[in-house]
Amino acid sequence: MRASSVSRRQLGIGLLFLAPNIIGFLVFTLFPLVASFGMAFTDWDVQRHNLFRDDPLRFVGFDNFARLFTHPDFYHFLGNTFFLMLGLPAAIGGSLVAALLLTRAGKSRLAMRTALIVAGGIFVLSSMVLMWGGVESNGLLFLFGSLMATILVFGAWSGGLLYRTMFYLPHFTAGVATFVLWKKLYNPQSGPINQALAPGLDRLAAIVNGGGGWVFGWVLPAVLFGMVLAAMGWQVKRLRQKIRDGELGWLTRVAGAVGVAVPIGLIGGWLQGDGTTGWLAATVAGGGMLAATQVRTDPLWRDRVRAATGLGGELIVTMAVITVLAAVGGLAVVGVHLPAMAADGLEPPNWLGSFQWSKPAIMIMALWAAIGSNNMILYMAGLSNISPELYEAADIDGATRWQRFCHVTWPQLAPITFFIAVMSVIHGLQGGFEMARTMTGGGPAGSTTTLSYFIYMEGFETGRLGYASAVAWVLFALVFTLSFLNVKFGNRYVND
Amino acid sequence: MKRLFLISFIVLVAASAATFWSLPEQQSDRPILYWAVMPDPSKLAIREEFYAEQGYEPVELRLDAANRDLTKKMIQGVSGVGSDIVDAGGLHMQPLQNAGVLLDVTEAMAKYGATPDKTYPGAVSEMVFDGRQYSFPRNVVANAMWVNVDTFKRYGIEVPPRRWTIEDFERIGRQFVAAANPPGTKSPVYFTSYIPRKPMRRSLGASYFNETLTRCTLDDPRNIELMRRVHQWVVVDRLAPSREAEKAFDVDGSGFRLKAALLQRGNYGMLYLGRWALILLRELEPVQLAAVEPPHGGFPNIDINVGGVGVYSGSKYPDLAASFLGFLTSERYNRLVAETGDSLPPVPRFTETEEYLRPPGHENEWGAHEVFSESARYIGIGQPSSPYVLSSLTLRIEVDAYDSMIAGRITPEEAALEAAWRINREIEVTLDSNPALQGPYAEAVARQRRIDALRAAGEPVPLAWIDNPFHRDYYRHQGWLAESPEDAGKEGR
Repeated sequence: MRASSVSRRQLGIGLLFLAPNIIGFLVFTLFPLVASFGMAFTDWDVQRHNLFRDDPLRFVGFDNFARLFTHPDFYHFLGNTFFLMLGLPAAIGGSLVAALLLTRAGKSRLAMRTALIVAGGIFVLSSMVLMWGGVESNGLLFLFGSLMATILVFGAWSGGLLYRTMFYLPHFTAGVATFVLWKKLYNPQSGPINQALAPGLDRLAAIVNGGGGWVFGWVLPAVLFGMVLAAMGWQVKRLRQKIRDGELGWLTRVAGAVGVAVPIGLIGGWLQGDGTTGWLAATVAGGGMLAATQVRTDPLWRDRVRAATGLGGELIVTMAVITVLAAVGGLAVVGVHLPAMAADGLEPPNWLGSFQWSKPAIMIMALWAAIGSNNMILYMAGLSNISPELYEAADIDGATRWQRFCHVTWPQLAPITFFIAVMSVIHGLQGGFEMARTMTGGGPAGSTTTLSYFIYMEGFETGRLGYASAVAWVLFALVFTLSFLNVKFGNRYVND
Repeated sequence: MKRLFLISFIVLVAASAATFWSLPEQQSDRPILYWAVMPDPSKLAIREEFYAEQGYEPVELRLDAANRDLTKKMIQGVSGVGSDIVDAGGLHMQPLQNAGVLLDVTEAMAKYGATPDKTYPGAVSEMVFDGRQYSFPRNVVANAMWVNVDTFKRYGIEVPPRRWTIEDFERIGRQFVAAANPPGTKSPVYFTSYIPRKPMRRSLGASYFNETLTRCTLDDPRNIELMRRVHQWVVVDRLAPSREAEKAFDVDGSGFRLKAALLQRGNYGMLYLGRWALILLRELEPVQLAAVEPPHGGFPNIDINVGGVGVYSGSKYPDLAASFLGFLTSERYNRLVAETGDSLPPVPRFTETEEYLRPPGHENEWGAHEVFSESARYIGIGQPSSPYVLSSLTLRIEVDAYDSMIAGRITPEEAALEAAWRINREIEVTLDSNPALQGPYAEAVARQRRIDALRAAGEPVPLAWIDNPFHRDYYRHQGWLAESPEDAGKEGR
C-alpha cells in the first residue's frame, strides 16, 4: 500500500517534469498535425474563415486533392523539387570525400606534409589561373591568397581541427544568413563569383572568336559526348555483369537502365531547346539501354533472384551516373552553343535572375552546405568505427587504395550511407522553402519554387489553408513512399 | 529535485511577470497605437506632425518595422493581433478588406472629413468596396516616366514630349539605344528602366479583366499584339532591361535606390516610377529632370497606386486610429508630403502650391511635378481588382507568363493566352469554393452579356453596369456611356 503510494507520487512528480514537453508536443505538434489533416478535406480559406468572417466551413471531401492533381503548377514545382534533388548524390559523395580527407588530415607528419604540399600546389595553380584571368587588378588575388595560406598553415598546424570546424561551419550558421551571403556572392554585377569569372570569360571569348571556335564547338563536345557514351557503356557492362552474377533482379535492371534515360532526355532538350526532342532522346536511350542489358541468365538463378534484388545499391549508383551524365552532357551542350554565344562576348551568368541558371545556382549553394553537414560527421564517425584489421588484411592481400575503398570502406559504411540517403531524400523533398523565400521569391517564372514553397504560397499568400494542407499531405505521402522504398530496398547492412 | 523544479517554476513565473510589466502598454500612460510601417525619416516626421496636430497628449504612435509584409499583416490580422493602423496600399487592400481585417470607416471618415471625394478620382476604386469606405490614402503614387534630360542631350536625342504615342516610344527608343550603345559597349544603356505594360495595354483598350471583372481578358488580341511588341523591345531592341537583367542590377532587394542611381548616371534614359523617386534622386548629384506620361495607343492614362491606410477591425482604439486617417487630410500633413517628395499628397489641392510645383533648392525638378499631379487627377486609373480572384495571384501569374516569354520558353501569344487561362481557372476555383459569390457572379455575367449586346449594337452602356475602373474611363473617353452630363466628371484627356 505504502509502496504503491510512493510510486504514484514519483509518477506524478515525473509527469510534472515531463509536462512542459508533453504539453508543448500536444499543442504545437500533434494538434496542428491532426488539424491540418482535417483541414485538407475542407475549404478553409483565410479570407472567409477567420475572426472577422464567419462563413461556415464546408467539408469538400477529396476536392482539394483532385484540384491539386489537375493543377499544372503542381507538376512544375514537383519537377523543380526532383531536379534540385539531382544534387543529392554529389552532396553525399562530397560529404564522404570531406570525411575521408578530414579523417586523414593530421594522422601523421607525412600526411600533414603531403596535405600542405598538395594544397600549396593548388594554391599556386589557382593564383596562376586568377592572374591569367586578370583578377589581380582588383585585389581579389591577394584576398584569396592570404585566406588560403592562413587556412592551410593553421589547418596543418592544428592537425585537421580547423579544417573540421570550417567544413562544419555552414551547418551551424543560420540558414537565412548564408542565403543572404550567397545572394551577394551571386550578384551578377558586384558579386565576387562573376568578378572572378568575367576576365576568364573575356579571354575565352577572345580565343573562341579568334579561331578556336571549332575546338570548343566541335572537338570539346565530341569528347564530352564520347564520355557520355562511355559512361553509358560502363553502366551497361556493369549491369550485364551483375545480372549474370545473379546480383540484380529485373526491376533493378529496369531502374538502372531507364535511369540513364533521364539525363539523356535533359541533354536532348537542352541541345534543341524543346521538350519533344528531350522526350524522344530519353525514349531512345531508355529503350536502347533496356535492350543492351538484356542478358540470358541461368534458369536456376532466375528463380532465385527476386525482382528488386540489389535495388537499393543500384539506385545510389544510378543517381550518381545520372548526375555525372547531366553535368558532362550539359557542358557538351554549352560547348556546342559556345561559338554563337561568344560572338558578342561572353557574360557571366545571371545566377539567380535567369531561368536557366537559377536552379543550378541553388544546387551549387546546397552542395556547399551539404558537404560539411551532419552527413560528414556521420561518415567520420563511421570511418572511425571501421576495424583496422580489415585494412591490414587488405594490405596483406596487396590491395591498392582504390580497392581498399571499394572493398573495405564503402561496404563498411553501407548502414551510414543508407541512413544519409533516406534523410537526404526526405530533406530534399521538403526543402527549398528558405532559399526560395530569401533568394529568389520562387522565380524567375517559378523555376525555383519547390513543393514546400508552393505550400507556403497557397497557405499564406493566397490564404487557402485547406488546399495548402492537402498539398502538405501529398508531400508527406511522397516522402513516406520514397522512404518506404528506401527502407524496403535500400542497402542498409554491411556486406549486404 | 523537487526544489529544483520549484525554483525553475518560480523563475519562469517571475520572468513572465517581468515580460508583462515591460510591455509598452504597461509602461505608457497613454493609449498606444501600432502602425506596421518602415520607420524611415519621413514616417518619423509624419508621427511628429500627428503629435503636433493632436496636441501631444492623447495618443502614442509606435512604428512597427517587423510586420509590414502582406502575409504577416494577414495572419496577424485574422488572428486578432494586427496593428491598429494598417498600411493597405496596392495589392494589400483587396485581401485585407476581403478577410474583414479592415474596419468599415465610412461614418468615421465622414466625421473627420476624409471622404473619397477629398482625394483623386482614380484612387477611389482602391478605397471603397460595395459603397463602403475602408481606407484613406496617406499618399497616391502616379507612375510616370522620369527623364534624365542630360542623358538625352549627351546622345543628341530629342526629349520625349509629355504626351506621346507608342509609335513615338518605339522610334525615339531605337534612336536612343543606337546612339548610346555603339558596337563594343560593355555596360548597356537602356532607353527606359521598365516598359509600362499596364497603362500601354489600357491605352489600346484592353485590360486585365472585362467590364464586370468576371473574366480575365489578357487573351485579348490587343494585349497579344502588345506582348509581341514588348518582346521585340526587350529581347531584340534592348529598349529596356529584361527582368533578368534588371535583377542583375538589384543589390538591396528592392532595387529602387540603384535604379535611381542608374538614371542619374545615365544607364537609364528614363525611370518608370512615382514622384517618390525624388526621395532617392535628391540624395544624388542633381541632374536636369523632366517627366512624361507613359506612351499611349489612343487612350492616354496613368497607373495609380494608392498608399492606403485603414483601421484594424480588432483595434482596441478604433476611434483614435480613425483620427489618424483624418489627420491625413490636414494641411500640415499634405504640405509635409509635398515637401519631402513622397509621392502625391492625398488631397489634390496641395499639389497646386508653389512649394509643390517649384520646390526651392530643387530647380532641376521644376516642370516635372505637375506631370504627376495632373496625370493623377485627370487620367489616373486605379488597380483593377476582381472580387473573384486575388490581385496578388493575378499579378504573380501575369509576371510568370511574362518572364517565361522573355526567357524564350513561350511565345508572346502563348504568354498572353496562358496568363488568361490560368487567371480564369483561379476564378473558377474561387467560385467553386465560395458559394456565396456564385449569385453575384451569375448576375455580373448576365450584366456582361447585356453590355456585350449593347456594344455589338453600337448602343451606349449605363455607367452603373461597369465595375472595372478602367472600362468606366475608357467608355467615357470613347463616348460609349449612357450618362448624365454631371456624371461626366473627368476631363483633360
